[in-house]
Amino acid sequence: MEESTKRHLSRRDFMKVAGAGAAAATLGPAIIVPGRATAQQKTLRILQWNHFVPGYDKWFNETYVKEWGQKNNTNVIVDNIGIAGLNARAAAEVRAQQGHDLFLFLWPPPVHEDQVIDHREIYEEVERKHGKAIPLAIKSTYNPKTKKYYGFSDSYVPDPINYRKDLWDAVGVKPDSWEDIRVGGAKIKKQFDNPVGIGLASEIDTNMAMRSLMYSWGSSEQDENGKPILGSKQTVEAVKFVKALYQETMTPEVFSWDASSNNRFMLAGKGSLALNAISVTRTGENEKIPVTDNIWLAKAAAGPVRRIGLEHVMDVYCIWKFAKNIEGAKKFLVDYVDNFKKGFLASEYYNFPCFTSTVPDLKQLLANDPKAKPSDKYKVLEDVESWATNVGYPGYANAAIDEVFSTWIVSTMFAKAAQGIMSPEDAVAEASKQVERIFQKWSERGKL
Amino acid sequence: MSSAAPARRRAYFLDREDWLGRVMIAPAVIYIAALIGMPFFLALFYSFSNITVGTEELHFVGLKNFRAILDTPGFQVALKNSFIFTFVSQAIVLILAKILALSLVRDFRGKWVVRLLIILPWVAPISLGAIGWLWMLDSIYSIVNWGLRAVGIFGPSTWPIWLGLPKLAMASVIAVHVWRLLPLATIILLAGLTSIPRDIQEAAAADGARFWRQLFEITIPMVLPIMGVAVLFGIVFTFTDMIVIFVLTRGGPFDSTHVLASLAFFTGIEGGDLAEGAAIALFLFPLLVAVAFLMLRLARRSEVT
Repeated sequence: MEESTKRHLSRRDFMKVAGAGAAAATLGPAIIVPGRATAQQKTLRILQWNHFVPGYDKWFNETYVKEWGQKNNTNVIVDNIGIAGLNARAAAEVRAQQGHDLFLFLWPPPVHEDQVIDHREIYEEVERKHGKAIPLAIKSTYNPKTKKYYGFSDSYVPDPINYRKDLWDAVGVKPDSWEDIRVGGAKIKKQFDNPVGIGLASEIDTNMAMRSLMYSWGSSEQDENGKPILGSKQTVEAVKFVKALYQETMTPEVFSWDASSNNRFMLAGKGSLALNAISVTRTGENEKIPVTDNIWLAKAAAGPVRRIGLEHVMDVYCIWKFAKNIEGAKKFLVDYVDNFKKGFLASEYYNFPCFTSTVPDLKQLLANDPKAKPSDKYKVLEDVESWATNVGYPGYANAAIDEVFSTWIVSTMFAKAAQGIMSPEDAVAEASKQVERIFQKWSERGKL
Repeated sequence: MSSAAPARRRAYFLDREDWLGRVMIAPAVIYIAALIGMPFFLALFYSFSNITVGTEELHFVGLKNFRAILDTPGFQVALKNSFIFTFVSQAIVLILAKILALSLVRDFRGKWVVRLLIILPWVAPISLGAIGWLWMLDSIYSIVNWGLRAVGIFGPSTWPIWLGLPKLAMASVIAVHVWRLLPLATIILLAGLTSIPRDIQEAAAADGARFWRQLFEITIPMVLPIMGVAVLFGIVFTFTDMIVIFVLTRGGPFDSTHVLASLAFFTGIEGGDLAEGAAIALFLFPLLVAVAFLMLRLARRSEVT
C-alpha cells in the first residue's frame, strides 16, 4: 500500500499538499482559535541613548515601558547606546531596512526624511490632548519645503551657563553677557587659575555653545528662509570674540573637549564656567561632590544683538517606514507624552516638555528642589522656552543644517581662528564656502 | 567491496591537486568576495552617485564627488595626515619591533611572561585599548602627565594637553597606534629571526664578526623578506584604520588629525553624504595597491638574492 501511494504522488499533488500544509501552519492558529490572533503579543523595539541622568534610564527601561507593555499587550525592548554611536547606528538600520521601531535622535535628523513616516498624525493627536507644541519642537522636526514632519519631539534639554558662584563673586562679576564672561573669566583665570571651559572641538557641546554665541551676535548658518548666510560680518565679529575669549580665559584643553568634558571640568573643581545641561549639578548632588553647592546656573548669555541659547539636546523620536510595529510606536509616543511628567521627574528636570501643559507645576518644582542647594537653584530655567532655540535658527533644521552640524564645520571655524591657525576672516570664508556647497547639494536633492 | 569504493573516490579527490586546491582556497575566495569585494564595488558604485544615508534612490553624477572633495581643505589635510600617520608609525614600529625581537630571541628567565605582555595590546580589542589611552591622556586627569610630573620630568607648571594641540594630538595618535601594532611586527620578526640557521651566525662569530656587523650583514638581509611582510601588514592596517583617531580625537583639534578613513566615516555616515564618503574612501585603494605591489616585489627580490 505504501509503495502504491508513493508511486501515485505526482509533483503537482506534492505541491498541493505542501502548499495546503504551509497555509495551515501559517493561518491555523487564527482560523482555529479566532481570538488568539488578536491576543498575540506584539513587540516594540526602541533605541535611545545612555541618558546622562542614569535614574531616567532605570525608570524608563525598568518601570515605564514594562507598565506600558502590560497595558498594551506588547513586549517592549529598549536598547541603549552611547551618544556618539547614534548616527552610525541609524545609517546601518536604514541600509539594512530593519532595526528598531522607534529611534531617538538627540538632534534633528532631517537627512533621514525619506526613511521615516510623516509624524503629523502623532503631533495632531498629542496637540488635541495637550495643546500646541512649543516652536522649538516644530522647527526641529518639520520640513516646510516638503510639508513633512520627519520626527516627533517630546522634550528638549536646556543649556544654561554653569558657573562657580564663589569665584565669580570673588571678582565681582556676574556672567550675564558674553562680555561679562570674557572680563570675569580672565580675572578668575589670572587670580585663581580656574579657566573657562567652552568646547572648541568636534563634539556636540561645542556645536551648541558656538551656535548660541553666533546667534546672539546676529550671525547664523542660514536665514529664516533657508538661505546660507554664514559668511557675514556678524560671524566674523563672533569669531573674533571667541578668539579673544579663548586667549584670555581658557586653556588648550577645550580643543580636546568631548560630550562629558564639561561635567569633569566643573566637578573636578577646575573650571570657572561651562555651558551645559543640568547633568553637572545633578551628578554632583547625587555623588555628593563638595564643589556642587558652588556651581550655580544662569540663563544663556546676552550678546550684542540678543540673549539666546540653544537647546543642549533635542529629543527627536523617529518611526522608520520599515518599522515592524508602526502603530504601536505611534501609540507609545502619544501615551508617553500623556505621562511626560513622570519622565520629567525621573530625569531630574533634565528633559523639559515640548508640550508645556504636561508639567503644569514646572515652575513650582524648579523653585523648590529637594536636592539643590539653594533649593531654588533650578528656578533660572523656568522661562527657558523664551531663550532657547533650535539648530538652524532662525530657520528650520533641515538636511543641510544637519550635515553642517554633524561635520563640525562651525566648531572647526571657531577653533581654527582661536588657535591662530587662520585669521577670523579666512576661517569664516573657508567655512562659509563649505556651508554654501552643502546647501547647494541638498537644494539639488529637493530637500531645501 | 562496498566500503572500498568511497575510500577510493576520496583518495582520488585527495590526489587531484587541481580540485583539492580549489576546494581549499574556496573559503578564502568567498570571504574576500563577500567581505571585501562586495563593499569595494558598492563603494565604487556609490562614489559616482548622489546617494545619502537617508535615500534609497540614487542618480549617476560622474566625477562630481571626487571634484568636490579635492576642493575641500579637510581632504587635503587628511591625505597628508594619512601618509604621516602611516609612515611615521611604521618606521617607529619597525625599529622597536626589531629591538624587541632581537631581545626576545635570546633565552632568559621569564621570557614567556615578557612575550605574553608584549602580545597583549594586539589581542585586546583596540577600541578598549584606545579608550584606556583616552583616559590616560585626559586633559584633567592624565595619568601620563601625573606620572611624568611625579618622577620630575615635568615641572609643576608643565601639563601638556595631549589631545588639544595639533602636533601633540598627532603624536599621541601615532604613539597609540605604535603601541597597538608593535606586537604583530615583533612576532613576525621573531619568526624570521628564529628561522636563521645558527651555524651561519656561529661561523660569522668565529670569523670575528661582532654584533653590528652580524646585524647588518647577516640578520637584516636574511629577515628582509619577512620584514617586508611586517611592513606591508602595518601599512595596510594603518592606512585603513580609523579606530584610534575616532576614539582619541574624532579628527580634531579642528580637523588636524583626520586621515582618509576617518574623514570618509565622518563625511559619509555622520554627515550623511554617503557618496562623498565613498569617494574619499576610494582614494585609499590605488595607494594600497601600489604599496602592496611594491612591498611584495621587494620581498620577492630579497628572497631571490
